[in-house]
Amino acid sequence: FFQHFRGRKNRCYKLAVRSVRRAFVRSTKARKEKKRFLRALWITRIEAASLEHGLKYPAFISNLVKSQVELNRKVLADLAIYEPKTFKSLAALAQRRRQEGFLAALGDGKEPEGIFSRIVQHHY
Amino acid sequence: VAKTSLSSPPWPEVKLPDPVEEAKYHAAEVVRKVNGLISAGQYGRLFAVVHFASKQWKITSEDLIMMDNVLEAECGDRIRMEKVLLVGADDFTLIGRPLLGKDLVRVEATVIEKTESWPKVNMRFWRRHNYQRKKIIANPQTVLRINTIEIYPCLS
Repeated sequence: FFQHFRGRKNRCYKLAVRSVRRAFVRSTKARKEKKRFLRALWITRIEAASLEHGLKYPAFISNLVKSQVELNRKVLADLAIYEPKTFKSLAALAQRRRQEGFLAALGDGKEPEGIFSRIVQHHY
Repeated sequence: VAKTSLSSPPWPEVKLPDPVEEAKYHAAEVVRKVNGLISAGQYGRLFAVVHFASKQWKITSEDLIMMDNVLEAECGDRIRMEKVLLVGADDFTLIGRPLLGKDLVRVEATVIEKTESWPKVNMRFWRRHNYQRKKIIANPQTVLRINTIEIYPCLS
């Protein structure tokens, strides 16, 4: 477990025992923090991609959720990297839902309901 | 009203297209085109976003997926994945709200192997308190191969 350590930790038993113990503990804690780190990474990637299409991250995510599209951040980041056209269409969807939300909030009723704001009930 | 700095709101005025007209255009043009493309078979590689084992995966045909749990299926069983969130090709994407219909998409997979992960060490240690616990964990894993993703032209 300690062959690749630096200095006398890879040769002397006493020092190696201590550093191996610390390495195990750190790996267990890092496994929990890896999830947080990856989520932050995905969020920054999605933010960069949505800014290229003229939308900010909170607007993008909130409008996607309001249009009943339940994609998580990992998949959104992968789409932004490998499928730019799909990401562009998702950004356009979010933008359209945002405009409809603004109209609904400012107009205050008695106007045609937005198309993309309709809540769909499916039977599978 | 005279055009002053406060006569019109500071945000850009956006006019959305008429809903009736837009529904007609959508139903006639877009759906017909996409149905035509699907039935003609003019798409290259299909990718799909599938919700499986409490995770979302972006999958294409012939690729491997490994999950950290046990599936109640023997090796070599064909599995049909429901809960498809998104299907796309080069020219069009079908976005589900939130899922797509089962008569639209079909994702087939085969169970290839069921192994255990490499033995991970779970250790807790408090210094100066003479407390250390070491546990070796080997999670069961399943490997699936996605065989095909098919779409049928039943849009409306």
